[in-house]
Amino acid sequence: MTNLLSVKNLSISVPSAKGRVSVVDNVSFEIPAGKKIGMVGESGSGKSLTAYALMRLIKSPVSIDGGEIFLNGREILGLSSKEFRLLRGNEISMIYQDPMSALNPIMRVGQQIIESIQLHSSVSKSVARKAAIDLLASVGIPEPESRIDSYPFEMSGGMLQRVVIAIALSGEPKVLIADEATTALDVTTQDRVLTLIDKLAAERNLSVLLITHDLGVAAQFSDDIMVMYAGKLVENGSVEQIFSNPAHPYTKALLDSRCDYTIDVNKPIKSIAGQPPRPDNRPSGCVFSPRCAHAEPKCSASVPPLTSSQGRLTACFRSDELFQVGAVN
Amino acid sequence: MRFKMRFSLSGLIVLAIVGITLAAPLISPYDPYAIDGAEPFLGPSLTHLMGTDDLGRDLFSRILYGGRITILIALAATIIALIIGTLWGMIAGVQRGWVDEILMRTADATMAIPQILFALVCVSAVGSSVFSLPIIAGLLLSPTTARMARTAVVVELASDYVVAAKATGLKKSRLIMTEVLPNIAPQLLVQLSINAAAAVMMEASLSFIGLGIQPPDASWGTLMLQGYGNLWNTSWFVFFPALVVTITILAFNSYGERIRVSLDSRKSSK
Repeated sequence: MTNLLSVKNLSISVPSAKGRVSVVDNVSFEIPAGKKIGMVGESGSGKSLTAYALMRLIKSPVSIDGGEIFLNGREILGLSSKEFRLLRGNEISMIYQDPMSALNPIMRVGQQIIESIQLHSSVSKSVARKAAIDLLASVGIPEPESRIDSYPFEMSGGMLQRVVIAIALSGEPKVLIADEATTALDVTTQDRVLTLIDKLAAERNLSVLLITHDLGVAAQFSDDIMVMYAGKLVENGSVEQIFSNPAHPYTKALLDSRCDYTIDVNKPIKSIAGQPPRPDNRPSGCVFSPRCAHAEPKCSASVPPLTSSQGRLTACFRSDELFQVGAVN
Repeated sequence: MRFKMRFSLSGLIVLAIVGITLAAPLISPYDPYAIDGAEPFLGPSLTHLMGTDDLGRDLFSRILYGGRITILIALAATIIALIIGTLWGMIAGVQRGWVDEILMRTADATMAIPQILFALVCVSAVGSSVFSLPIIAGLLLSPTTARMARTAVVVELASDYVVAAKATGLKKSRLIMTEVLPNIAPQLLVQLSINAAAAVMMEASLSFIGLGIQPPDASWGTLMLQGYGNLWNTSWFVFFPALVVTITILAFNSYGERIRVSLDSRKSSK
């Protein structure tokens, strides 16, 4: 299977009082065609910036310092903005956290979809309108013939997110990035929207990058999971591997801090001591070492590379000794 | 965009003022230029609603006709300011960088000069007529409009839906025409209304110091000047044009405020 999207050594930095500091540090990953990848991490771990970099929506003062992004074998960071504009929506598109603010408030939703359709194929307005109605139907909007003339404020959050998805799919892209796409929705709507994205991805053979801080959402939806921490990719493996046999202490700690109905209410909820490091104050060596229960001197001495361990990629010196497959921690 | 039709006193007054002054020839009871030597300095009465001036001309008719000139100058100035100011601010807001710096610092510098002084210099340079006055007033009002438009454009460009539209592959020019401009239109409308009030004031001020509309044509400013000259024998004369100017400015300003408030409530209710 070919890799539709591949990111090599992507680094993004922001200015601070101490000069430019790295917020996404040497991140590499691949998304094969038709796969659904979940990217999880805390706020500030660099998930969204990575997504914005894929769409080339990074704006000054934030800047991409290095790395390459290949979309369908073509490097996109080096393209002129005019060349890349033709790929936006056509090859890669994105859906957003807050559907209410992602739509023009004073334009009918149909018009916004039609505009996008006509942008990607030179069809007449009436053909585009038909296509827009079909799209609305395919994203599960009831009575699309009348809903097409609604304004955004006349629709609910879940419906708006469906409209945003319809717009994202109007150019028939191959890669869909969902940046916290279900975070602003309530849980039942969240589930329906995820199911919808899942269905559409299967129908259209889309590769999906789902960015979320919700482990449950990521587990339900994805084939593979990437775990980000403090601008670094710390673990990358299948859902099964990440959730059943995490091989990085951070992933393990993250899973242990989950709080659901199975926990013992008489025990305190486990948490990871401390705070994620600020970008301008990252520790030397492994970024997780100051908070890690298993840290050794070598962990703060040098940066552990992302290496293959137990069938997945992980960035920990001690993953082999700490997390034996099948071993109970 | 759907505006709810709501009753607004200030809007009604604005409409009435514009309507009545434009329809002056149909309404005015006398010829505003007809001199009647037998009836100078008459007080307000039923035959002459606002009295007559030193040449026996009916003040009410003169105010109606004067209003035409004042209102037309104000409207023309407002439109000129809107076009220049919006372009000025939009270019700055879209381009940013050094273009933005140059344009906005120019606006700041222009605003630092007292308007009336600037107007005086312009009038003495190009003369005053019904053509030059709107252009001068329009130019003077455009920096504030530009500043407002720039801020609105910058805010819109950073909004999620503009970024989202950009991510679908929309060209920058389309982005501005379909996403940005319609969304800043309400703010421009507020500015339009405030500018109209300022333009009325500016015309009245210039004419009052004798640099605006020249007799025998009358504008509200020239009528006030005439009334000021005769303040000691006919104190009521200056009262009427001053009252009309006050009401007009108040109406335009409060109508602008009205639009602003209704915009705020729409923003917060969404």
